[in-house]
Amino acid sequence: MTMNRRDFLKVGAGTSGSLLISLSLPGCAGVQTGFKPESGTWKADAWLELTKSGDIWFTLDRVEMGQGTYTGLTTLIAEELEVAPEAISVRFAPVAPEYRNPLFKLQLTGGSTSVATAWEPLRTAGASARQLLIMAAARVWNVDASECSATDGRVVHANGIDSLPYAKLVELASREVLRGDVGLKPRSEWKLIGKANKRLDAIAKSTGTAEYGIDVELPGMVYAVIARAPRYGARVSGFNADEVLAMAGVVDVFEIERGVAVVADKYWRARKAQAALKVDWDESEALSLSTADVFTGYREAADDDTGESERSEGDFDDALESASRVVEAEYEQPYLAHATMEPMNATVWYRGDHAEVWAPTQGPDLGRIAVARHTDLSPDDVTVHTTFLGGGFGRRLVQDYIEEAAAVAYRVEKPVKLVWSREEDTQHDLYRPAMLHRMKATVEDGNLTGWHHQIVGPQILDWYVRNAAPAQYPWAPKFMYGTLGKVGVMAEGLATPKDVSAIEGAIGYPYQVGNIDIRHTHTDPGVPITWWRSVGYSHNGFAVETFMDELAHEAGQDPYQFRRNLLANEPRHREVLDRAARLAKWGEPLAEGRARGIALFRSFGTYVAQVVEAGIEGGSIRVYKVFAAVDCGQVVNPQIVRDQIEGGALFGLTAALYGKIDFVDGVVQQSNFHDYQMLRQYERPEVVVDIIESDEAPTGVGEPGVPPVIPALGNALFALTGKRQRVLPLNANA
Amino acid sequence: MAVNLTVNGENRSIEVEGDTPLLWVLRDELGLKGTKFGCGAGLCGACTVHLNGAPIRSCSTPLELAAGGEITTIEGLGEPGKLHPLQQAWVEHGVPQCGYCQSGQIMSAAHLLKTNPSPTRDEIVAAMTGNICRCGTYSRIVAAVESVVGIVEPARQEGA
Repeated sequence: MTMNRRDFLKVGAGTSGSLLISLSLPGCAGVQTGFKPESGTWKADAWLELTKSGDIWFTLDRVEMGQGTYTGLTTLIAEELEVAPEAISVRFAPVAPEYRNPLFKLQLTGGSTSVATAWEPLRTAGASARQLLIMAAARVWNVDASECSATDGRVVHANGIDSLPYAKLVELASREVLRGDVGLKPRSEWKLIGKANKRLDAIAKSTGTAEYGIDVELPGMVYAVIARAPRYGARVSGFNADEVLAMAGVVDVFEIERGVAVVADKYWRARKAQAALKVDWDESEALSLSTADVFTGYREAADDDTGESERSEGDFDDALESASRVVEAEYEQPYLAHATMEPMNATVWYRGDHAEVWAPTQGPDLGRIAVARHTDLSPDDVTVHTTFLGGGFGRRLVQDYIEEAAAVAYRVEKPVKLVWSREEDTQHDLYRPAMLHRMKATVEDGNLTGWHHQIVGPQILDWYVRNAAPAQYPWAPKFMYGTLGKVGVMAEGLATPKDVSAIEGAIGYPYQVGNIDIRHTHTDPGVPITWWRSVGYSHNGFAVETFMDELAHEAGQDPYQFRRNLLANEPRHREVLDRAARLAKWGEPLAEGRARGIALFRSFGTYVAQVVEAGIEGGSIRVYKVFAAVDCGQVVNPQIVRDQIEGGALFGLTAALYGKIDFVDGVVQQSNFHDYQMLRQYERPEVVVDIIESDEAPTGVGEPGVPPVIPALGNALFALTGKRQRVLPLNANA
Repeated sequence: MAVNLTVNGENRSIEVEGDTPLLWVLRDELGLKGTKFGCGAGLCGACTVHLNGAPIRSCSTPLELAAGGEITTIEGLGEPGKLHPLQQAWVEHGVPQCGYCQSGQIMSAAHLLKTNPSPTRDEIVAAMTGNICRCGTYSRIVAAVESVVGIVEPARQEGA
């Protein structure tokens, strides 16, 4: 998820350090700021509200799905406002233009962008409120504001005597006007940023009181489940409604776009009724391919057309002519499901002139479009309440589950909670695309002289623009939704920036090789796809960093030194590579039956190198240790950075060891955690994370831990067995 | 026909079909939402509660099998106004990320310590292997459990 990719209908500038108070866009209902006497609250800006009773509310406009925004972004506010993070109460943002992700012009949480984009605006919001409170106190004391400062929720005067808590100042502060620079604190004065502040949501999440989407309960609520077609694209042609309607607790049974909805007074009754439901499907337009067909199609497409050149340097054909040796390899990666621990769910209450949604979603403004599409409402008539998310990983950027719940709620006119089963979650996902990579490198006098990478597969925006484009123009009438979606796809690279989902990471190939040609053959087999924690980087990382290992082996060089020698102009790449190698004691002997592999990949602006120590025990791959070095610029919370890199590594290892969604005649073969396995506690490697000290602006860490660990493991297995694996997931018996 | 249960020390009478999984009874009939639905097949451990002191997967335990039993959920683990030592350790170690699996993780850990107050690292890992965490919080789970070894009393009466 790179910045420019989702910014496909680009409007205006990105983040800015300027005052964001009372920001509003013409024609959009913005957040009302100012003082409200009736409640005694001062809404200083879109994010921050202080009350006369001493409460401080922070409206968090990025969702919390485990990546730590709840703690990290609150820390940014707390630092500048001069309060303890624990003194701030957090609520999840409603849909409003102020809360749009400035990189995407949509209210999205994704692409490892939260800290990077909040870094300036949230510190500015905190600092602005602090300044206004100081000005208010100075007016009370009739002194110059420069004599006053803020600390621990109070404004104090330099005389050491006068002191007022924020609660006493909020009304006065609301009348002050800030001019000029808000004065962000210099790094030397930070008390919170850069420290391992405790997670603010840990108590709620350790006591079972954190509310996830699936926990929402409303009076008179009914439960919906949906029988979806086993083959994507099939249509309902008939079902035994009468029989199912007669079952205990069943409220309604009816056809919706994607299948047959069963509504009952209790979840289990809905499930039992679904089990008795017999649906006939019209499969004339349904997906009928098998995974093998996908790769056959990719190979044919790749043979027909080498695709568009996405990056070209020097002349690869020249390099090919003068090469003493040409190395070629082909890599395959399967479809992958997201497997969030909390299955897809949404609660929708349609009430004639307006609807409310409670959902764990990464895109609440897209949720409004989803409801508008299936009811007679416009997006402005829809309120979205975001909950905690039991995992996201890109899955909840797509709002299909809200669409389904809305379609049901529109018909039954009661609060409806839709819950997917794990099997439905696995089999009706939108998948990380299966991809094919053709690699070719030229060697002359023992040196790498040319790099040719042909990426074969689909693009994600083709699937995403349908919902995203209308959300950027929420005032657009519904009959335009289709057009907006089509324009978004057709205008790619012209009116809208290019979709780099297939090529991200590959085009950032960092090694100094004179002749580079990176191409994309765009071909889409029709399997629904979407983002998946590090998406393009995840498959490109495997192809690039495995092939680099192959080339090192060909050259008879150490894989670490081989990479290092080609990174003379890339100091940040080289530094993480060196650190990871040092951390892992690269080159020192290992216990019998163990081997190391190394890989390096930059994604989402963050540099990560990983060394994996692995072996094969009793016919299974065992990963013993992962050493990671990360450069993500300035760090807001080193503990969260470490946790994200460790969690990313485990997520990547899960994919490397087990991840595979297979289609046979259009039907997904995997269904639950027995055949779509997750890494478990007993398989957990020790993960050691080294964070580079930096003055650079912060970049994301939610995803960059994933890409390098997959090739690093494959490279370790090669070092162990001498057999190169070019297909994922990896095989212990290869 | 009503089914009687003791849940977190309280007697409850429930009128739903006996084949309803205990998970949905706890969540939807009794409003105890801390116990989570993950897989519906006893594979992930998110729904772990204690039945008569033993950890069970409530997603695949029909209500009728729990009839007359004593159940402890995450809500009944600590004492009123006081976190259970494991919960305290979870907070200290910053274990939860998305947090969705953590009720089940804590209930598995609580049972381990009740039956084996001084587990080795290997015993902790073995006892926690049935609980999947997709965020990868496994190392902190082990650290948090190890930090309370010797603190949790083996004879602790659940739900009392």
